[in-house]
Amino acid sequence: MVLLSVPLWLRSRLTDRFWRVQEVLKYARHFRGRKNRCYKLAVRNVRRAFVKSTQARRQKKRFLRALWITRIEAASLEHGLKYSAFISNLFKTQVELNRKMIADLAIYEPKTFKSLAALAQRRRQEGFLAALGDGKEPEGIFSRIVHHY
Amino acid sequence: MASYTKAAQQWATFARAWYLLDAKMQPPGKIAAVTVRRLEGRHKPIYHALNDCGDHVVIINTRHIAFSGNKWEQKVYSSHTGYPGGFKQVTATQLHLKDPTAIVKLTVYRMLPKNLLRRTLMQRLHLFPEDVIPEDIEKNLLQEIPQPRVVPRRLDEYTPEEIAAFPRVWTPSKYCPSSLNVRLNKQGWRAWMI
Repeated sequence: MVLLSVPLWLRSRLTDRFWRVQEVLKYARHFRGRKNRCYKLAVRNVRRAFVKSTQARRQKKRFLRALWITRIEAASLEHGLKYSAFISNLFKTQVELNRKMIADLAIYEPKTFKSLAALAQRRRQEGFLAALGDGKEPEGIFSRIVHHY
Repeated sequence: MASYTKAAQQWATFARAWYLLDAKMQPPGKIAAVTVRRLEGRHKPIYHALNDCGDHVVIINTRHIAFSGNKWEQKVYSSHTGYPGGFKQVTATQLHLKDPTAIVKLTVYRMLPKNLLRRTLMQRLHLFPEDVIPEDIEKNLLQEIPQPRVVPRRLDEYTPEEIAAFPRVWTPSKYCPSSLNVRLNKQGWRAWMI
């Protein structure tokens, strides 16, 4: 027969509460106020912070794209073109640069951007001639489309 | 190939420039649109909201701005002193007579983004009612911004030769000597049915 009363008097108590609390508080250390120290407040706010960071991963893409567009607009207006004309004519000449690269070029490679703006302007003029002209003039050189298939 | 480390050092990239804008015979809204763009720094490819890359703008001749339509009589600027019965409404003419820079200042203030940077950007705006600019500001000026509105010439600014050379649309006859007796409707053309 096994005597079970002695082992039953030994309650198993939580020994690593400190580390469980630290797991949460380590993400709250840069918060403002008591929520960077007190576990009860920190738990709620750390969860909110994680939720916001998940949503922000989608919003960051939108925000960065808007920033690139603002920068490209500024740079193309320096060369006398509006953003809409620049992008649409660049697309029509089959230059498949995304807005991130064009914005980086506008900052770090100004002469390359100037040539892109000139290309877009030339394609724009050819588009006007094709729409308004008689059709007797030859088609524009930069309006030719290359098929890669 | 664009690289952040290998790009050439352009030391004056983040320098703050001083621009001059002549507001003579210009609508204050268009003036404000151009200034706000420069104050924010949106005319630079390095723009970012946190970058603080805006420039200074000096606007001269604010006394000679030109509202279109009947706005001088119809546009109302309202304010409240905070005390009961302190609601004040002033027409654009009255405000302009009281303070010739107020209209442009208010227009720019209301067009700036409504954040904490607004007051800082307003401090970079310098308004002068006439041509006279203090010497230290004049020394800083870099470039003049082109005027947003093309000012049309008045009839007396045309030479008699140009007036004679302009093609005549119709010649007045003895039965219809001038258009003064013809009733014009709101759009300004003759309305036979009125």
